[in-house]
Amino acid sequence: MRIVCPFCGERELGEFTYLGDAKPQRPAADASEDAVYDYVYLRDNIAGVMSEHWYHGGGCRSWLKITRNTLTHEISTVEPAAGAGAAKVGA
Amino acid sequence: MAEFSWASRSPLEQALVTGVHGARGVEAGILLTEIRNFDLIQVMARRGKGAELAKAAKARFGMAAPDTPKAVQTKDATLIWSGPDQFLVLSKDGKYAMNTLAPAFSGLASLSDQSHARALISISGAKVRTMLAKLLSLDLHPAVFQVGAAAATSIDHTSVTLWRGADQTDGRAVFNLLVFATFAESLWHTTLDAGAEYGIDIRYSEELA
Ligand SMILES: [Zn+2]
Repeated sequence: MRIVCPFCGERELGEFTYLGDAKPQRPAADASEDAVYDYVYLRDNIAGVMSEHWYHGGGCRSWLKITRNTLTHEISTVEPAAGAGAAKVGA
Repeated sequence: MAEFSWASRSPLEQALVTGVHGARGVEAGILLTEIRNFDLIQVMARRGKGAELAKAAKARFGMAAPDTPKAVQTKDATLIWSGPDQFLVLSKDGKYAMNTLAPAFSGLASLSDQSHARALISISGAKVRTMLAKLLSLDLHPAVFQVGAAAATSIDHTSVTLWRGADQTDGRAVFNLLVFATFAESLWHTTLDAGAEYGIDIRYSEELA
């Protein structure tokens, strides 16, 4: 499997680390205990297209947001995660 | 308080033995040179300051710092891409050190002195691509990885900054590697193992290529 890093180009899987589901959003500070529990612990186990966070630690050290089919490993989109590269945020 | 005097020395001082390593009776296929005594500053744009930093860098160096994986040569420094909105400034004799660069990029970038935190290794020779193919997963074909190409990648699970410098006078390619000082010795041994069959001519130099 190879991933096309938006900053580095096509690289082998070994340069990347998998974090997991990119969908969960941190609940507001006054959110219920259930909402926080869901955010911290509960994950969908998706057989199909999934949005994921990956880290290009063996390369440019950027966080990436990747759309991958967990059945075929087909990657359809790769984009910088929020905060990757100073110019990408608030610019 | 006790007085300390710090004598800087190369992280490869123990491992590097000048002379020929590996295959004998053939012209060495690999020329392996450690470059010592350089100044290296990491420049990372602050959040939202990428464009302003690019402008300030251009004013400071007389040319734009690379915003894609490339290395560019100014009249007295090499600017090497090291990630989005960040680059390394490689120079000698204190031309670009923290005390001069930090004020120039104040408020725009975070700077970090890497002069004694990295080892710089230059690799060339007739067999250089064959040897590097054992260590890197990048395509180093001359048409793909041209003079000035750079990459943040890994060798043997060790992060390195790689770039292709100007060709030697005989037209042969030169690849430069920056590696964290604490991983330098490990990478050095890996390189010696990979190149042994071609014969390696080992040197060190105080000159930036
Ligand atoms: Zn990358």
